[in-house]
Amino acid sequence: MTGIIGCLVVLSVLHLITPFWWWVMAVPFLYGLVFGRSARRSFRTGALSAGLLWLGAAIYFHFTGSALIARRMAMMMKLGSSWLMVAAAATIAALAAGVAGLAGYSLRALFQQKRKR
Amino acid sequence: MKILRAVLAITLAVVVFWGLNGRHGLFPPLGKLLNPFAGFWRNGSREDKPPASLTLPGLRDTVDIIWDARHVPHIFARNDHDLYFAQGYVVARDRLWQMEFQALYAAGRLSEVVGPALVQQDRLQRRLGLVWSAEKMARAFQDDSLISEAVGAYRDGVNAYLHSLSPQDYPVEYKILDYAPEPWTELKTALLMKSVAWTLSGMNQDLVMTRTRAILGQAFVDSLFPDLPPYLEPVIPRGTAWDFRPVPVPQPLAAAAASPGQNDAGPGERPQGPGSNNWAVSGKMTRSGFPILCNDPHLDLTLPSVWYEVQLAAPGVNVYGVTFTGAPGVVIGFNGRAAWGVTAALSDVLDWYEVKFKDKDRREYLYDGKWRPVEVREDKIKVKGGTTSIDRVLYTHHGPVVCLEDEKPLAGWVPRGAALRWAPHDVSNELLSLYRLNRASHYQDFLEAMKSFSFPALNFVYADARGDIALWHSGRFPLRWKGQGRYILDGSKPADEWMGWIPWDHNPHVKNPERGFLSSANQQPVDETYPYYLGWEYGPFERGRRINESLSAGKDFAPEDMIRVQTDNLNLRARLLLPRLLPVLRQAEPAAEERTCLEALEKWDCQERADSAAPLIFDFLWNAVNEKTWNDELKPGMDVLYWPLSNVFLDLALNHPDSSFFDDKKTPAVEVFADIALSAFKTACRRLAEKYGRFGRAWQWGRARGTDIRHLGSLPGFGRDRLFTPGDTCTINAIGRTHGPSWRMVVALGPEVKAWGIYPGGESGNPGSRYYDNGVGDWLAGRTYELLFMSSAGQAVPGRTSKTELRGEK
Repeated sequence: MTGIIGCLVVLSVLHLITPFWWWVMAVPFLYGLVFGRSARRSFRTGALSAGLLWLGAAIYFHFTGSALIARRMAMMMKLGSSWLMVAAAATIAALAAGVAGLAGYSLRALFQQKRKR
Repeated sequence: MKILRAVLAITLAVVVFWGLNGRHGLFPPLGKLLNPFAGFWRNGSREDKPPASLTLPGLRDTVDIIWDARHVPHIFARNDHDLYFAQGYVVARDRLWQMEFQALYAAGRLSEVVGPALVQQDRLQRRLGLVWSAEKMARAFQDDSLISEAVGAYRDGVNAYLHSLSPQDYPVEYKILDYAPEPWTELKTALLMKSVAWTLSGMNQDLVMTRTRAILGQAFVDSLFPDLPPYLEPVIPRGTAWDFRPVPVPQPLAAAAASPGQNDAGPGERPQGPGSNNWAVSGKMTRSGFPILCNDPHLDLTLPSVWYEVQLAAPGVNVYGVTFTGAPGVVIGFNGRAAWGVTAALSDVLDWYEVKFKDKDRREYLYDGKWRPVEVREDKIKVKGGTTSIDRVLYTHHGPVVCLEDEKPLAGWVPRGAALRWAPHDVSNELLSLYRLNRASHYQDFLEAMKSFSFPALNFVYADARGDIALWHSGRFPLRWKGQGRYILDGSKPADEWMGWIPWDHNPHVKNPERGFLSSANQQPVDETYPYYLGWEYGPFERGRRINESLSAGKDFAPEDMIRVQTDNLNLRARLLLPRLLPVLRQAEPAAEERTCLEALEKWDCQERADSAAPLIFDFLWNAVNEKTWNDELKPGMDVLYWPLSNVFLDLALNHPDSSFFDDKKTPAVEVFADIALSAFKTACRRLAEKYGRFGRAWQWGRARGTDIRHLGSLPGFGRDRLFTPGDTCTINAIGRTHGPSWRMVVALGPEVKAWGIYPGGESGNPGSRYYDNGVGDWLAGRTYELLFMSSAGQAVPGRTSKTELRGEK
């Protein structure tokens, strides 16, 4: 839980001050590398923190003037509703972040092995 | 095991990153795009609200911008520099992606941002020499201090906006196509001007006509493609006296040898130039006693719209109208005292010269018995993804060789092995004309503006509060013998060259005619009394004739009457042809479906209404009857025979129904018009049933034909599809599948000018803004908005919604 909240806070700050989308991969990767306790938990921490953040932010923008552009984007992507764009944002973020968290942890696991020797 | 897992997991992460970070083919970069903090979510309409004040380095003084209820900016500056700086700034703010995309298109650079699919398109742009001539134009801006200041200030304004952007602020199209805007330059303004010139005065039928003459003979061409077709009401009313003494016109030394015109790619459909209407009625025909001026240019309809509406005011100027997104000043509009509008002149400024190269190296070409060196321009076409395609374009003194003899043509109308002589390749200064028009207050000012106007040639209609109305067929036209350049010319003979230019004040013009009104609708500009040859490919006659008929029938015109004329859907072609056609069809014994079609045509009042089926039936019938009349004339060796103008067809059908053109050459019997008409009717009914099923809702004109306003970059979901539209290309309300009236304007002059206008789009180029397509519905319904012409920034007027104050850096 602390991990998720920590990632969420760090991600929010980085997103607000920079335009890069890939923080949702970089931050969970580093989390998995430094703090990861298991593959599953690293995936989950990344996926939940990034997924929730993008979900919340997309909903916020949807309600504050971006519904129209979301609808047009949905039409462009052949999706029926602007809310599917919200879902797509959350899903993509969760997936990317989860995979990155997993990758971070699996690297950490290698180092742990070496240290044991 | 752990190593394998790590390798797999990291590989997976890398693949996911790669997949989401970039664009793949036409698939957008999902990671960037969906990111709520910088992706498309940031292009919502909330960001559209203009700020109350801004500091912009580069401004000399304060500029006030008043935004009205339709988000039209009314710019009040204290000097010209700041005026055009602010214009550049607001246009960029609303239309940045569009202006850059148009410039990239003109420059043949689209494959840089879109990808390999557009390399051929880009190559054509380069081969046509648009970049070459735009570079010359951009250099020439410097020779005119007024224009270089205006263009430079405009550029700085655009760039001031550009520099204020972070990636999350980029227009959404940049995010979808995954690239970033680059600074605006004077060259881009020049490219836009050349691109507009090409749209309105590029392309012609010289290749097909050369081919047609070679195979079917001179007499055939002369009878079907005359310089002055029947039913014509020329732009300059018949009987207008020419107020100049003509200069001697060159004569051909000998009959030009018939060149076969090499071509093997079928040109397909006849290229149709965009059309437009404009007219002015004098005070003696209006209720107010002052002139009214109207204009509706018909162009390919896109979102964002080709036009941007604006009011520009500074000491010495207060003008309102529509502007191009990329050049300073108002293109079509009015000020407190005068108004003007344009239609494409369509006079011929493009000829092809067959080039004889010395050998296959093509380093020299023959001219006047001597070998001249070919100039080579290397064009580098960068392609998204990293590759660069290099094209060597060969230039003769005529112009670029667009397609070599052994190449596959880039377009069907391009002859092989011929150099392109296009007048707008020469240096010209149209922006100066616009600058003067924007400030014109009486006829002399208008003349000054016409003097510097060159390309693309346009019919300028003019009216002012003093009561003058005038029309100028304006542009720089080559001085040629009659018919010169109708066919491909010989590039090695000096006698085939243009012999200079028609003096500007000899261009067709008329002022305050007896009949009290003036109009143009892309038809032939003059009758046979005009001493110079201008060309022969013009628009069909119907719109011009219908406008003249509507205007001469009325008096005491009010602005709302003019709006009614602009949205007139009467099909003159049908009104002329049906009385001859219907008795023929009635005589035959129509089958069930045919009877329904015949009844629909019999009840029809020739109005092209969206909810009526008759326009569709007539459209199919018209195509079928033309097909059956013309297509059997085709001989081996010809891919295509362009149909003659509707005037020519109507003259044959109504006045020469026994003409041999109606005989179907494939049958032993001799057919006349009635036979062809009947057979065409049956074909049309069969095709209609095949395509639209049983007679019903699907047959409605607005449904079956309809109109699409596509997004400029063809992004699905960003345009307005299947609009239920009335009208046809030959009605005054000239709406087609993808084009139509791009700006309807009515200006009532007088002590206080009043004006109305609308375009099918909106001020904002942002698809997430409510001002993106807010005009489409009203445009469709034929409504127009009263335009808010302000006298000062402080004026309290209804419709004023917010104000932005721009300040220079102290």
